[in-house]
Amino acid sequence: MNLAPHAAAPTAEVSLLIDVGSAWTKATVVGRARGRWRIVANVAQPTAWGQAALDETLAARLAIGADQRLRDRLREILAVAPRIACRTPRRTGRLAIAAIAGEHSAAAARHAAEAAGWMVAVTSDPDDGRPLAERIAALSATDVDAWLLAAPGEIATPEQVLEEASIVAAARHARGGPVVWAGPHSLTEQLAGLFEEGALRAIAPAEIEDGGQASGPLRADLEHLLEQVVEGHEGRRASPTGFRRAITELARQEHLRIGGIDLGAHYATWVLADGREEPPMVAGAALASGGLGSIAFGSPQVAGRLAREMSGHVDELAVADALQNLRSRPGSIPNGEEELGVAMAAGRMQLASIAATPGWGSVDVLIGAGRLIAGAPSPARAMQLMLDGIRPVGIAQIALDRAGVLPPLGSVSDDEIAEAIGFLRDDLVVPLGTAIVSRGGRPGHVAFRVTLHRAGWPSIGPVEVRVGQVSVLPLARGEQAEVELQTDESVSLGAARRGRHVQAQVSGGSVGLVLDARDAPIQLPRRTDDRRSVQRAWHEALLAEPVPERSVSAL
Amino acid sequence: MTTGGDGSMARVRSSVTSTADRGRTTYVHRVSLPPGAVPVVRAGDAVSPGDALATRRVPGTAFRVPVARGLGRRPDSGIEHFLVRPGTRLESGEAIARDPQGREARTPRAAVFVSYRIRDGSALLIELGPDRPLVGHVRGGVVRATPQAVDIALPGVRLLGVGGIGEAVHGELMMAVHRHDEELRAGSVDVSAAGKILVGGSRASAETLTRARAMGAVGVVLGGVLDKELRDLEAIQRRRRDQGGLVNPFSIVLLEGYGKVALDPHLFEWLRQHQGRTASLFGSERALVVYDATEPPRRVPLARVGDRVVAHGRPHAGRTGVLVGLLEELHAGGSGIPGLTGLVRFEDGRLAPIPLANLEASVAGQPPVSDA
Repeated sequence: MNLAPHAAAPTAEVSLLIDVGSAWTKATVVGRARGRWRIVANVAQPTAWGQAALDETLAARLAIGADQRLRDRLREILAVAPRIACRTPRRTGRLAIAAIAGEHSAAAARHAAEAAGWMVAVTSDPDDGRPLAERIAALSATDVDAWLLAAPGEIATPEQVLEEASIVAAARHARGGPVVWAGPHSLTEQLAGLFEEGALRAIAPAEIEDGGQASGPLRADLEHLLEQVVEGHEGRRASPTGFRRAITELARQEHLRIGGIDLGAHYATWVLADGREEPPMVAGAALASGGLGSIAFGSPQVAGRLAREMSGHVDELAVADALQNLRSRPGSIPNGEEELGVAMAAGRMQLASIAATPGWGSVDVLIGAGRLIAGAPSPARAMQLMLDGIRPVGIAQIALDRAGVLPPLGSVSDDEIAEAIGFLRDDLVVPLGTAIVSRGGRPGHVAFRVTLHRAGWPSIGPVEVRVGQVSVLPLARGEQAEVELQTDESVSLGAARRGRHVQAQVSGGSVGLVLDARDAPIQLPRRTDDRRSVQRAWHEALLAEPVPERSVSAL
Repeated sequence: MTTGGDGSMARVRSSVTSTADRGRTTYVHRVSLPPGAVPVVRAGDAVSPGDALATRRVPGTAFRVPVARGLGRRPDSGIEHFLVRPGTRLESGEAIARDPQGREARTPRAAVFVSYRIRDGSALLIELGPDRPLVGHVRGGVVRATPQAVDIALPGVRLLGVGGIGEAVHGELMMAVHRHDEELRAGSVDVSAAGKILVGGSRASAETLTRARAMGAVGVVLGGVLDKELRDLEAIQRRRRDQGGLVNPFSIVLLEGYGKVALDPHLFEWLRQHQGRTASLFGSERALVVYDATEPPRRVPLARVGDRVVAHGRPHAGRTGVLVGLLEELHAGGSGIPGLTGLVRFEDGRLAPIPLANLEASVAGQPPVSDA
C-alpha cells in the first residue's frame, strides 16, 4: 500500500487515519521514522467540532515532538497528507419483518437482520396474538427502508405465506421499498404478483441453527441490501465493515483466534476471526442499536437493573437521567465517578449481550475499541469493563485499539489491507495484559493455582485464586512469561482439557496478568450490601498497582 | 439545545432554508402522513394552526367477502379477474373482482383489500372508518403536498431540545416561572394556562405536569425534567386512554438535559420576550417553533476562549459562564477521563475546569423586531 504523500514533502512523510464516528472522530498521524511507519500523534474529539478543529488539534499535538524546523509547517503538511478515512453510517437502515410459521423463524430473521446492520423497526407474526388490523396498522405506521418476508423451508401452508405477504403488500401500498423473500422458491412467482414489478427479490430460506441463528445467504443478502438502500453503508468505507476487515486480517497474519468489539455511541460491532484457518473463519455483527445510545436505555426497567448492578450506590432516578443524557449528548464526557459508573454499567450490559450471542466463543486475543473502552480513565478500567462484560473464559490476551486505527486501516482495498496492517503492527493495539478467566467452581474453594515464571526474575507463586476472587500479578508490557496452572476439577477454562495442569505462554501489558475466578457470567450476592462490598473489592483489586511477590486480590 | 439544523427524528424532518427578513427566520417543516391519508392542501396554500392538512380513514376490524360465491365459482377454481391488489382502498359497493360475464363480487362497506383465501374463496378486507381530519399545528405556506408528507414553510424559529414526549400542539407562549433556574410548581399553574404553552424553569414534577394538563395547558417547555417524571406522566396518559377517557393532546419538550437543569438565562430572556406569541410544540420530535420570532441565542458545539458557555453534565449541568482559558495539557476531570479542558468562570464567580466536550458556546441572537 502506498502510504506516501502525493504532494512533495520530503522532510515529513506522514499519513492520516480518520474514523468519523457518530459521536467522536478519531484521527491518527502515521509517520515514517527510520524506515518504519509509526503512530506519531492521535486525537479523539466530538464529531460535531468539525474537520478544521481536528486538524488544529492534531497540529498542536504533533508540535510537541516535531523537529523545530517543521513546526511552522505542520498545518500545511497535514493538509496535503494522504487520508484514509471511514465513517459510521449517519443513518440506520430500518427494516420491517413479517415472519411466517413460528417464533423461531421470526427470531432467526431478526438475528440475521441485526447482524447485517439493520435496525428492526417493526415485526409482524401471525402468532404474535395481535388482531390482523392491528398488525397492519403497526406495519403501516412505521417508517422503514425495506421489508423482509421470512419463512422456513418446510412451511405449514402456502396460504399462510400468501396472507402474510398480502399484509405486507397492503401496509407497503403506495410507500414502496424493496421486499426480500426468504422462503421456498415455489412461492416466489405468486408472491411477486402481489407487488409491483421488480419490487420482490427472492433468496434461499433461512435455515435455523441451534440457538436460533439463521444460516445461509440471508445475512449476506441483507448486508448487500443495506448497502444499496441506505446511504453511508457502502462497503468497506463504513466503519463497522472496516473494523471487521482489520480484525480478520490481523487474525490471518497472527494465526490466532481474535475477538474484537467496537462499542460506539450508536453501533456495536463484534468480530470473531479464527486465523488458524485459511481463509479465516469469521463471525460477527454490526448492531445498529448495540451502542450506548441504544433505545433500550430509555427503559426504566433497564435503569433499575443497572442501578442494582453498580458497585456504588446511585439512585435509580439519577441512573435513568444519566442514561438519557448519555443518549442525547453522546459526544460528552462522563463528569464524575457517578456518571462514569452509569456509562460503564451501560457498556457492560451491551458487552454481556454480545457475549451471549450465539457464535461468540473463546479467543486468544480480545481487542476492545470505541470511546467508552479505548478512552477509559485507565487501562485497568478498560480491562475491568471488558472482563466484566465479555467474560472471556480461558487464557486471553486483552488489548485496546486506543487510537481507533483499525476501522480506517480495514477500509483500504483487498490488495492493500495486508500491507496496511503489517506496516503498523507494532502500534496497532495497546496490550493491557493477559487474563485467565475460569468458569464454575465450588464457592470458597480454590479455583486454580498459578505460578509465573519470568526470564531473569524470580518466579511468583504459586498463587491461589479462590472462586469469586480476582487478582493481578505484575507483568509489564513487552514481557513474556510462562504460567503453570493447576485447576480444580469443578473449574473450566473453556476448552475441553484432559488434565488439570496447564502450561501457557502469556504476555504482559499496562495492567499485568489478571487471575479471574468470578465465574461466567459473574455471580453476585443477592443482598445489596454484600453485592456492593464484593464489587468494590473487585474494583479495588483490579485498579490497584500489582506488587511483585504479593498479588493484589479480593474476594 | 440546538436551533435549526436537520432534525434526526424519523417522522418529522425539518431544515432551515433562509434567515432573511429583519432577523426573522423561515424553515421548512415536514409533516409525515400515515398511509392512506389524502392531502387536502396544495402548494401555495396558507395554513394556520388547527387547519386540516389531510384526511384519513382509520382502519377498523377485518371482515371477509365471499368472492368465489359471488362470481358463482368454486373457491379453488382460481379467480383471474381481480380488480384490486393488496392495499387497494374500496368504497362501499365497489367491485373486488369481475368475471368475463360481468358478474361482480363487491365489498359491502368501505375497506382496504388485503388478501384472497383459496380454501374458502373469500377476500379479506379491513373496514375503513369515516374520514378524519389530520390537523396541522403550524402556521405557514405549503411548499409541497404528497400522499407521504406535507412540507410547510414556517415563519418562525425552531429550538431543538434533547428530549420530550407527546404529539404536536400549538398555543401562546406563557411564562410560568420568574427565573431560569426556578422549578415549575403545581401552585403556579392555574386556569389562565388553558390553551397555552407554559415555559417552566429547571424542572417540573409529574404532579405539576398533570395539573398543567388538567388546567388546559397544551404543553410545557422546560430546561430539564427527571426521566421518571416524564415516564409517570406518559403512564397516566396511557391509562386514561386505555380506560376510554378523553385525553387532550399534551406535549413536553426539555431543552437542556435530563434531571434538574436550568434554562440558559439568555434563552429564558428570549422566551420571555416572545411571551404571547403563537408557538408549536412537537414533544416526540423534541422541537419548539415560535412564530414571528427574532433569532434566539445560538449554540455552537466548540467553544472558544471568551465565549459565553453553557455546561452539560453533573455537577454543572445548565450553568452558564464565560470560557476564560484552556488548559495546555489534557486534563482528567472527576471521572478520570483525560480530555481537552477549559476554565469556566461561572456567573456566581466560581472558576471550574470543564471538559470542552461538555460545553457549548451560546451566541446571542438579534434584538427583538418591533411588530410595528
